[in-house]
Amino acid sequence: MAEQHLPERQSPLEPEYHPGSHGNFEHGVDVILSETRPGSILQLAAWPGEEKRLIEIIRNVTGLALPDGAGGGVSSGARAAFGFAPGKFTVVDEAEGFAQAFAGAITPAIGTLTDLSHGRTAIRIAGPKAEWVMAKFFAIDFALPAFPLGAGRSTNHHDIFAQIQRSGADQFDIYVFRSFARSFWKALCHASEEVGYEVQ
Amino acid sequence: MLITCPYCGPRDVIEFTYQGDGNRERPQPASQNLDAWNAYVYDRLNPAGDHNEIWQHSGGCRSHLRVVRNTVTHEILSTSFARGGHKTESRS
Amino acid sequence: MSPRRTETGGRIDRLRTIRFTFDGAPYTGHAGDTLASALLANGVTLFGRSFKYHRPRGLLAAGVEEPNALVTVLRGEVREPNIPATMVEIYDGLVAVSQNRTPSLAWDIGALNQLGGKLLSAGFYYKTFMGPVIGPLKGTRFWMFCEHFIRRAAGLGKAGVAPDTSRYERMNAFCDVLVVGSGPAGLMAAKAAADQGARVILADLEAHFGGSANWSGETIDGMLAADWAQRMVAQLGGNDNVRLLPRTTVWGYYDGNTLAALERVTDHKEVAAKGEPRQRYWAIRAGTVVLATGSFERPLVFPGNDRPGVMLAHAAQRYAVEYGVLPGQRIALFTNNDSAYRSAAALKKAGAAVVAIIDVRGDISNEMRRLASDAEAELLAGHAVIATEGGKALTGLKVQRFDAMSGALSGDERSIHADSLLMSGGWSPTIHLASQAGAKAEWDPARQAFLPPKPTQRWIGAGAFTGSFSSAEAIAEGRAAGLQAAGGAASSAPLPVVEAVPGDPDPAPVFEIKAKGKSFVDFQHDVTAEDVRLAHREGFVSVEHLKRYTTLGMATDQGKNSNVPGLAIMAEALGKPIPEVGTTRFRPPYTAVSIGSLAAERFGDLKPERLTPMHDWHIANGATMYSAGLWFRPMIYGLAGETVEQAYVREAKATRESAGIVDVSTLGKIAVQGPDAAEFLDRVYTNMFSTLAVGKARYGLMLREDGLAFDDGTTWRLGEQEFLMTTTTANAGKVMQHLEYFLDVIWPELKVTVTSVTDEWAGAAIGGPNARAILASCVTGTAVDNAALPFMGIVHGRIAGVPVMICRLSFSGEMAFEVYSGAGYGNHVWEALIEAGKPFGLVPYGLEALGTMRIEKGHVTGAEIDGRTTARDLHLDWMLSKKKPFIGSAMMDREGLIAPDRLELVGLIALDNRPLNGGGHIVEELDEANPHDSLGHITACCYSPALGKYIALALVKGGKARHGTRAFVSDPLRNRFGPVEIVSNHFYDPDGSRMHG
Repeated sequence: MAEQHLPERQSPLEPEYHPGSHGNFEHGVDVILSETRPGSILQLAAWPGEEKRLIEIIRNVTGLALPDGAGGGVSSGARAAFGFAPGKFTVVDEAEGFAQAFAGAITPAIGTLTDLSHGRTAIRIAGPKAEWVMAKFFAIDFALPAFPLGAGRSTNHHDIFAQIQRSGADQFDIYVFRSFARSFWKALCHASEEVGYEVQ
Repeated sequence: MLITCPYCGPRDVIEFTYQGDGNRERPQPASQNLDAWNAYVYDRLNPAGDHNEIWQHSGGCRSHLRVVRNTVTHEILSTSFARGGHKTESRS
Repeated sequence: MSPRRTETGGRIDRLRTIRFTFDGAPYTGHAGDTLASALLANGVTLFGRSFKYHRPRGLLAAGVEEPNALVTVLRGEVREPNIPATMVEIYDGLVAVSQNRTPSLAWDIGALNQLGGKLLSAGFYYKTFMGPVIGPLKGTRFWMFCEHFIRRAAGLGKAGVAPDTSRYERMNAFCDVLVVGSGPAGLMAAKAAADQGARVILADLEAHFGGSANWSGETIDGMLAADWAQRMVAQLGGNDNVRLLPRTTVWGYYDGNTLAALERVTDHKEVAAKGEPRQRYWAIRAGTVVLATGSFERPLVFPGNDRPGVMLAHAAQRYAVEYGVLPGQRIALFTNNDSAYRSAAALKKAGAAVVAIIDVRGDISNEMRRLASDAEAELLAGHAVIATEGGKALTGLKVQRFDAMSGALSGDERSIHADSLLMSGGWSPTIHLASQAGAKAEWDPARQAFLPPKPTQRWIGAGAFTGSFSSAEAIAEGRAAGLQAAGGAASSAPLPVVEAVPGDPDPAPVFEIKAKGKSFVDFQHDVTAEDVRLAHREGFVSVEHLKRYTTLGMATDQGKNSNVPGLAIMAEALGKPIPEVGTTRFRPPYTAVSIGSLAAERFGDLKPERLTPMHDWHIANGATMYSAGLWFRPMIYGLAGETVEQAYVREAKATRESAGIVDVSTLGKIAVQGPDAAEFLDRVYTNMFSTLAVGKARYGLMLREDGLAFDDGTTWRLGEQEFLMTTTTANAGKVMQHLEYFLDVIWPELKVTVTSVTDEWAGAAIGGPNARAILASCVTGTAVDNAALPFMGIVHGRIAGVPVMICRLSFSGEMAFEVYSGAGYGNHVWEALIEAGKPFGLVPYGLEALGTMRIEKGHVTGAEIDGRTTARDLHLDWMLSKKKPFIGSAMMDREGLIAPDRLELVGLIALDNRPLNGGGHIVEELDEANPHDSLGHITACCYSPALGKYIALALVKGGKARHGTRAFVSDPLRNRFGPVEIVSNHFYDPDGSRMHG
């Protein structure tokens, strides 16, 4: 089918997304919040025993070499990948339609590919107080030794399921269900008021 | 209470859903043995002490775990994936 | 200068004056004062009225254990009651009021209760107000009648009614070592652990770290202990791996070394900074906990021990040394141990006259004798206080010779003129957290105290908490605990050197002086020694029963002062040693915890909610939203002046006459993928899915393992190994867990992935005679006619440039289509459909019209699949495959599940043309006065525009056999009675000609 002009995807945060400085920012902004709006968010799953082959496919297609071990991941600007469950990985790319790149590579013998590009919303929190604000929501240890760079975690905040990747020493990318995204965003802004935040 | 998920590491119990007695054995799907089905669906062990339980890490990786828990002290003696085969190394 | 403020001393800032009010009167204090110290400095002696007898009460303590001086702090309309004045830091504009007095603290009519004191002894309420055993006011009814008045007369502060708009937050923290308490032991532990590189949290419930070092007056490493403590705190504060949490009460010790703490972030501030929470609830997961929680000084039990002016000895020392406030000018002390002598010395040094030290012990060490003489105090060894005098302030006391072995009083009474009496009944380690953590305290006969049990979780004790009451021991134990907690080796490096007055840590085993008058054990709940004995005489032998009968230790202070004296008196009455009487186990919380801090941000606007991609369109177009679980869905799109019924009738009618559109994005959607996906669905659903062709959908029913109906929905085969399952909105999460359970636990051999894709797809269902024409006018890339898109067929095309997936299926009973698009395009597609529908009069409809049309069609939802109904009950037995086993197939035909008298789905028509109600019962014969013999109940009801009647679905015994018969609705709760006709649940277009078209 010929490439048709697609409208811009609507952000679930729109009415609550207010670029600028907010909260107690007179003494400086300690976190920056943004919606990263990647074009593709994919879930890749390997059957038991096929994890290494899937990791190999991820490396071939994305160029990202995932470290061994639970929750291992890599983030490199335009692309990111991390494990979030046994045999399961999230792969993110700034371009739309990245699922096509895996077509044919992930055979039924290896596992499955599920496109969640619309279904998950990516929110980034960065800055010296990012760990502090994150700790208000999630009962996991955000300290760098416990949560290394690139690593992924699955956790939840009340009913809001979240996958979190550390994409920088003081930066986290949070993937939440789209329907919860606005609610989570409002809570995140609220929790960031104390330290002063900027929405970009 | 903390449960150590073999994938995610120690997590608060609020991230988990209790899925019942882990000692139950499901009859073969086509089995017509009603007594066996009855035992599977309704009978639960309820020991004061070590107990085999199934928990789902529903607020995390969503794996089902086999958990040995002391029902008196709440001490967790062991956890493992209910579904074998995954070779992913665990985080302590 | 205030009457009782010393010229120098204390850590208050005399250059900064703070203005506040107490009971409406203006007062001043200094920065660093607590409400207690500031009022005491102003000469205030009366702080509250007691719980039961409304006796005047003053300050007993200086810290968190204060039982008497409970106040209510007002912030605007919001009032927080029952805060110890000792824990309120003053700020400019603080408004505090006293409690439990009418009309004022000084003149309280409730004090009349004192005259009838005998009547209000232990169990008084139970005995008096349980009421007669017969008659209209028997038993609890009488109690409930009286309770209102009793509660008003007794009790503590009043809660406010204004909503608390303060911000509260939760914080999750992880550390290697949590140190609770910041006295010398805690400071040493934190320092030692931090120096090992461990992540350390140091928490103390007071504003100022240092604990006893702040007031002991001892010397550590050549400097004043308070200065040494501040130097330690400064060193700790400079470490990146240390978090200091002042004003933070660790109140709960739970399994897995998880601890709960409450940080009072801005309670001491006039104005909170923007975004700063009032309080923060810390959930702390600690590798190891160092418990350095210190100890409480115990009161002595003697007549008049509750008179304002009677105070714990160390508390007076704290007021003098930390705040520069003297509790009186002429001070007497009453003690059973050496520690009070140090207090006497400190008060003398601060400028007070110490007139006497009354010691129950006959034999006093030379060191203590020297301390007494240095303080110029008369030492009355082998004496006891038998009475106090004065009204709202102490004027004097009476002493008599006392034998500590027998407890006998002898000789002449002697009066001593004093305006302050300080008492010390020994010290009880603060073992609450250790007890919460799971083990039983152990009685130490030398210390006359309960010492912490052996750890059942990963904690290490240090300092007074362990019964080591000297600073030198605390420092040594603290360092050792910190090193051990951080995994370091024991150190032989020299310890800080303490210069302190020596003293024997063991008190005489004297808890009570038996003389005439009320001797209080529990100050906050007004429990006297006589109440404890009365409970014993009435047969209460267990300490747990004693507690409940007398309410000893059950007030907001949870017996911090009264626990041990109460037990001692009980033990004596029983003639048993204290350890055989036992102590009760402490439970969280250690101190009162605000509900707000527990709720944190989970209320109001910040509650998690789920919105569909078209949410803003619904709001902009006049929808009244309805919360369905966490989802928000349009209920109706009402026009001006329309009632709900008028709106949904209009919407449903328009749909059946032309076309309607409804947002179905909330339906649960699960991607079922993998080589074994079809096999898995065959096992999960009662009907076959492996036979379904790619590009087709099928309605499916799931049962639970016990054979009862679980959920229904359509599942679409998008590829050989790829299905899109839909579930009801309400059951989406449960179905997901159900599938995951079977894949993980029961059938791990199946290669299937299940993924929630509910949020990936926006869904719009468009139905009605013109639905196809509307679609045809806006869909590109595919035809939508009968050939291309038959019933239950699926096609892919575009609407307004956006890829869409269209399945022809119907819930409304009309020719209908579900249009799915990527959620990010959902609103775009929705608006395009609305635009395309304009020439056809397309209306958006909400849940009410959706429900109406499904009732007319007789479809089931969660109201009928209620966990008690079977497929047969719902006339879905045609879906039960006989070719394969499936979940529930073995159990669904059990005797009780196929009995002829089961409730079955039927339709009802109201013959009196009045609305029916969900939950109304169906009866054969109407007896409004005595409704009985229910045949079943209504599950859903509406006005049917298609039939022009009020109709309902119901579950009724006999079901189909009753079609065409009459019965009655009997709904006494809503006073709705009337005749109905029982009919088929398929009210409208029963052969489905409209949807098959």
